[in-house]
Amino acid sequence: MNIDNTASQMRKGVLEFCILSIIKLGEAYPSDIIDMMKAANLNILEGTLYPLLTRLKNAEFLTYRWVESNSGPPRKYFSLTEKGAKFYKELETTWLELAGAVETITSKNNQLNNHKPE
Amino acid sequence: MKKVININFQGTIVPIEESSYELLQQYIESLRLYFANEEGRDEIINDIESRISELFQERLKSGSTCITDDDVNAIIKNMGRPADFEEAEKGENTDSNDEKSDNSKKEKSESFQGNWNWKGKRLYRDENNKVLGGVCSGIAAYFGIDPVIVRILFLISGIGILAYILLWLFVPGSNMLENGARKRLYRNPDGKIIGGVCSGIGSYFDINPWLPRFIFLIPFISFFFRWGHFGPLTFPNFLSFSFSPGSFIVYIILWLVIPEAITTSEKLEMKGEKVDMNSIKNSVLKEMKEVGERMGKMGQEMGEHVGKMGMEAGNFAKEKTANFNKEVYTSTHRTSGILGKIITTIFKIVMYFILGCIALAVIIALFSIVIMAIGLFPLKDFVLTDGWQSMFAWGTLLFFIAVPVIGIITFIIRRFAHVKRSNKLMRYSFIGLWIIGIVCFISLIVSIGRDFKSSSSGNIEYIPLSDPNVKRLEVMPLNNNNYSRMNNWFRLEPFATFGMDNDTAFISNFRIRIKKSATDSFQVSEISWCNGRTRRDADTLAALINFNISQNDSLLMMDRAIAINTTDKFRNQYVEVTIAVPVGHYIKINKNFDRRSHVKFPWVWNDNYWYYDDNDEYFEFRSGVLYIMKEDGLYTIDGERSDRRNEGGNNSKRKRTDINDNNYRYTPNSKIDSLKAEQEKQIQKMQAALDSAKDAREKELNKLKDSLNRAKEEINKKIEKLNKGTAWYDNSSRSDFSEKFSFMSYI
Repeated sequence: MNIDNTASQMRKGVLEFCILSIIKLGEAYPSDIIDMMKAANLNILEGTLYPLLTRLKNAEFLTYRWVESNSGPPRKYFSLTEKGAKFYKELETTWLELAGAVETITSKNNQLNNHKPE
Repeated sequence: MKKVININFQGTIVPIEESSYELLQQYIESLRLYFANEEGRDEIINDIESRISELFQERLKSGSTCITDDDVNAIIKNMGRPADFEEAEKGENTDSNDEKSDNSKKEKSESFQGNWNWKGKRLYRDENNKVLGGVCSGIAAYFGIDPVIVRILFLISGIGILAYILLWLFVPGSNMLENGARKRLYRNPDGKIIGGVCSGIGSYFDINPWLPRFIFLIPFISFFFRWGHFGPLTFPNFLSFSFSPGSFIVYIILWLVIPEAITTSEKLEMKGEKVDMNSIKNSVLKEMKEVGERMGKMGQEMGEHVGKMGMEAGNFAKEKTANFNKEVYTSTHRTSGILGKIITTIFKIVMYFILGCIALAVIIALFSIVIMAIGLFPLKDFVLTDGWQSMFAWGTLLFFIAVPVIGIITFIIRRFAHVKRSNKLMRYSFIGLWIIGIVCFISLIVSIGRDFKSSSSGNIEYIPLSDPNVKRLEVMPLNNNNYSRMNNWFRLEPFATFGMDNDTAFISNFRIRIKKSATDSFQVSEISWCNGRTRRDADTLAALINFNISQNDSLLMMDRAIAINTTDKFRNQYVEVTIAVPVGHYIKINKNFDRRSHVKFPWVWNDNYWYYDDNDEYFEFRSGVLYIMKEDGLYTIDGERSDRRNEGGNNSKRKRTDINDNNYRYTPNSKIDSLKAEQEKQIQKMQAALDSAKDAREKELNKLKDSLNRAKEEINKKIEKLNKGTAWYDNSSRSDFSEKFSFMSYI
């Protein structure tokens, strides 16, 4: 049990949620997704994004359309399906619950820690 | 300076350095492998490729003339290598949609979880290029050499098999092994003289091709210098380079096993350029392995079913039980996976072990056939006539024996080396050559058979004895240096005593027979038998048999073998010596005349069953035992009959009465029997005592006679010594010899 492992597991869990969230904002191209995540300081390897997208697409949460690009081959732009939107909603509630629970627990812990030195 | 090539990458033309292209290809291949079990593998790869292509375009637009190693490395760094994905995927939960693919991938990656380090060098089993367990290709990847070389080394060394199993068990497997700059062994078609093997070896080891050529040629050169000289040291070392057919066969096997470098990339590989090894991936999975994997998968699926049932049950019990169920699910899943893996591994080991044993047995059998054939080959001069027969013999050796051996060995090595190039032509030429071999073999047999067809008439030749009235006769070997070393070298079992010089072979095809003499003096006769194309041929050859017998007082000096030379050839020569012993006289056959197996070609259609029709009775005897001839047969001095059969009959009779003795209460008759037997025994004993007394007296007499003889001899010797000073040594040694003998026999 090392810190990297645990941290990557945590990140892993929210990765799909984040991707779906980004795509929900509007049609997105994989490198846009990467850029946005990078901007939010959530670094993932591009190589891991593609399989994730394919999986989500195969599960019918995502759909895509081809867009001609002036630099290189045509691009895939991903968007949410209805099923995907529903799935996103569920994930959102789960996340909010989880975040709230984690927040409550850790804040208590923080308070305790803050009190200790006094 | 680097070569730039244009590639069509995702629909756009990309100028790229050759080395970068290889780097890219290698990377994509590793991804392909990593996502092998993913449902949308091609789509993922396609997406990644498009992205890379886009990045290339960006790079080119920003002013680069071509894509370089740095560009590719930067892109790879961004994209991440499979090993980095491993890191990211680690600990991913199993309840996503595509459980199955996830799981199998996980199982595969289990083996190198933890301290897998892409940069550091560690020994892994290479599961991408494996033949058995990937040990050899793993070692090859570790040292950066060709796996074929490691495999051949493992095959040749005997302990390789054990080491292989140990390494298989202890070295972790990995399907991520990428082989960096590495050379492969190819035959070089550009620098070839015969098959390009030597120049290929030369370019592999970066040496002048004449060096391996010379090494291959040494035994040939020495072979021609020492033609026909098959010493005991050179003959069995089949693979040693002192034996040239060995190097010849090694060359042919290498020729067949090593692929020829035809394409440019193969030529680059041959010279040690950086190559994408993963592209030369083996796809041939052995059926056994598949079965094993299927078993493993079955175990997995069972586990999944159990897990799914648990899930369903959990849905009813809602929240609280759901967590518990999930735990059960994951735990059953894990155990089933491990169980499946263990079963698979055990199954694999057992199957490969059995297959390995069979293969090894086949190889050993073939090698022994070859060694046998080669070992007997020097004898061909003694059997075969020159011309056609000799040619057929070579044809048989090369095509009938060597071709299938090379064929099978090649087949096995090709399987190990994973040479997949179609070899229809090779197969047909093998079969064709073998058919030629069969024709040669049959012609050879027929031709030899005709040479052995008739047998000689077998005329009796009486040996004149210098003193036929001697009281006892001992048969001694003629002290001849020619075959004193016969016993200690060539002892191939069916040819137990085949002593050989360069042009003379000695075979112990003779038999001594003892019969009762009709007169009161010893009589020695000799019959020579022989086979030949016609009876006349056989008779002339039989007359040429030179088997020396001479008497020297009480010693009958006799050859221990028939000498056969290359001009007269071996035609089942056989000598039968008959010694007629008068009643009351002694005979002893020296220990050196132990019966040995005869060298004989038993052809079905020849009448070589030597048969001499006479009505005399011949007695059995053992060598090294003194016998006395009596009216009713041959006896030892202890009074036992020479042929054990009669004696054995007496023994069993005695035994039977002994048993009856124990139960005499119930069978009163047995008492009488036993009494009778007792009486017989008594009589026998008395007879024996009488005999031995007689013997002793005779011995005494003999002794006196002998000492007289000796005295006579000594006088003779002295006279001779005076007469011929030069011949002195010879005679004295002989008389010394006889003295020693008589001394020993009387003690």
